[in-house]
Amino acid sequence: MTDIRFYLILFAAAGLFSLLPLGLGDYHLHVMIVSLYYLMMASSWNLLAGYTGQVSFAHAAFAGIGAYTSGILAVEFGVNPWAGVIIGTAAASLLGLGVGVLCLRMGGIYLSLTTLGFSEILRIVITNEYDITRGTMGLQVPGLVEEYSKAAYFYIMLGAAMITLIVLYKLIYSNKGLCFRAVQNDERAAASLGVDVVKVRVLAFTVSSALAGLAGGLYGHYLHLITPEIPSLDQQFLVLSMTVIGGMGSFLGPVIGAFSLEILSEYIRAYGEYHVLVFGLIALVVARFAPNGLMGLAASRLPGGPAPAVTVPSTGKS
Amino acid sequence: MLALATMNGLVIGAIYSLAALGVSLVVGIMNVINFAHGELYILAGYFSYILADTLGMHFVLAMVLAVALVFLFGIFVEYTLIRPTYGNDMYSLILTFILSIVLQNAYLLIFGPYPNKPPGWVGGATHVFGAFYYGNQRLAALAAGAVVIAFVFVLVKKTWFGRIIRATSQDREMAELNGVNTTRLNMLSFGLGCALAAAAGVILAPVFPVTPTAGVPVALTAFVVVVLGGMGSLWGCVVGGLILGLVENLGAAYISTGYKHVFNFIILILVLLVRPAGLFGRREA
Repeated sequence: MTDIRFYLILFAAAGLFSLLPLGLGDYHLHVMIVSLYYLMMASSWNLLAGYTGQVSFAHAAFAGIGAYTSGILAVEFGVNPWAGVIIGTAAASLLGLGVGVLCLRMGGIYLSLTTLGFSEILRIVITNEYDITRGTMGLQVPGLVEEYSKAAYFYIMLGAAMITLIVLYKLIYSNKGLCFRAVQNDERAAASLGVDVVKVRVLAFTVSSALAGLAGGLYGHYLHLITPEIPSLDQQFLVLSMTVIGGMGSFLGPVIGAFSLEILSEYIRAYGEYHVLVFGLIALVVARFAPNGLMGLAASRLPGGPAPAVTVPSTGKS
Repeated sequence: MLALATMNGLVIGAIYSLAALGVSLVVGIMNVINFAHGELYILAGYFSYILADTLGMHFVLAMVLAVALVFLFGIFVEYTLIRPTYGNDMYSLILTFILSIVLQNAYLLIFGPYPNKPPGWVGGATHVFGAFYYGNQRLAALAAGAVVIAFVFVLVKKTWFGRIIRATSQDREMAELNGVNTTRLNMLSFGLGCALAAAAGVILAPVFPVTPTAGVPVALTAFVVVVLGGMGSLWGCVVGGLILGLVENLGAAYISTGYKHVFNFIILILVLLVRPAGLFGRREA
């Protein structure tokens, strides 16, 4: 995909999307805003899992860091929410850098273990520090705009989603992105060609954590209520399944996954809280039989369609 | 209080060791971390609850059957989900994580959020060291845990099957050249890892009742134990499990109850900072 084609498609899609508030009611607009949040989360998680082969289970936790940082600053110190979101993003990226440096020296499994522990610890801290975070009751925070309107938040999330996609695109299709994929495909070969494997992984992890922090900060101010649900493992699981079902390692996969699963979950909700179970079963089947997700299926059906960026799984020995 | 906390730490530490042995065995042989380990631990608790409480079986029979059923389930999981991912560690992480969430939600649907408890083995309490009374059930759990750990050590260190396990975790290709069927070994050892989680589950379920998400902290602690002890090291699991059990209970007794699982995480960070290969780990781990 050339740069011009990417920007054309992105702005055309954004232009079409920006017409939505004219035709949609509040409920449908809400679904769209949540979908955009998941789009940002899934796309930035995909940078890590799909392009460098590292699995983080703390992506939702970093969104929670962004949301709680911004929310606590606004409630306790009266910081402007916009400034709060930026500080929250910075906090998420700093923590991401710390966790990344700590465990990426030791290889991918350590990152997965540590991030899983990190999100569980964050949950415990949030529940215990009731005075500051209001625990499971949730922290009430001010909104980003003076007058509440779904349309305003829709445009904010649309803008943030575009920024996220542009950052990811720039990174993935740069020299750094080439290093990402080189590290994923063969760590040793990449290292022998002079790629600093640890640095590349830490960079990907930091950027992806920062983007999660941004998404979480904005989402928290949209909801006006920040609960431990945002950094929970259930949310992490949703982001993961959206990426896996949409297609890991393809640029469009997480976008498609986020929209289709969020809309699907709204339909399932009518029958009770089964959507996590249903998504889990779908994700298991997809990850097992079509590891490149919907995008991979589309590419194999349509000759000449977009080829997935990675080839998984290889049959070689680890 | 010190003595009581130490005793609690030993009991829970033995169970952590047992759970960690299952994780470590699978990591050593297959380089796969089973993120559904905690859910299999819970599954065994539910099985022993159904068999002993609902169907009225003798508790020993129920426990053995529960472990056997989880062993078979583990083999099924390996055959259907894990086997196609060999050579791609990332996919096995993702698949087992999804599996853990699926199982949690399935338990919630079937059993509800309520705690379920299989019947205890023994009643009453014993006067320990002339210092305090301690529940017989917990003492029995400690003894049972020690017996299973000893069994694993004999299996790995003294039998022919154990020799195959050790050979494969040292050098997979060399073991294959010597005629080891590593595909079958993977299946068996994954099942064995699940069975060890199940053993921990059936031993601890009469003390700490099972709920759909009760496996998460146990599995997390088991993972920390594996990192602390060194990936693939059996002694590391035993020592690490006891250390974490003691730290958790002493910390809860003297510092803060709400944060008892956070101490484990602090230990994990310290290990990663100071000695990333773990206490008994091989350098290149």
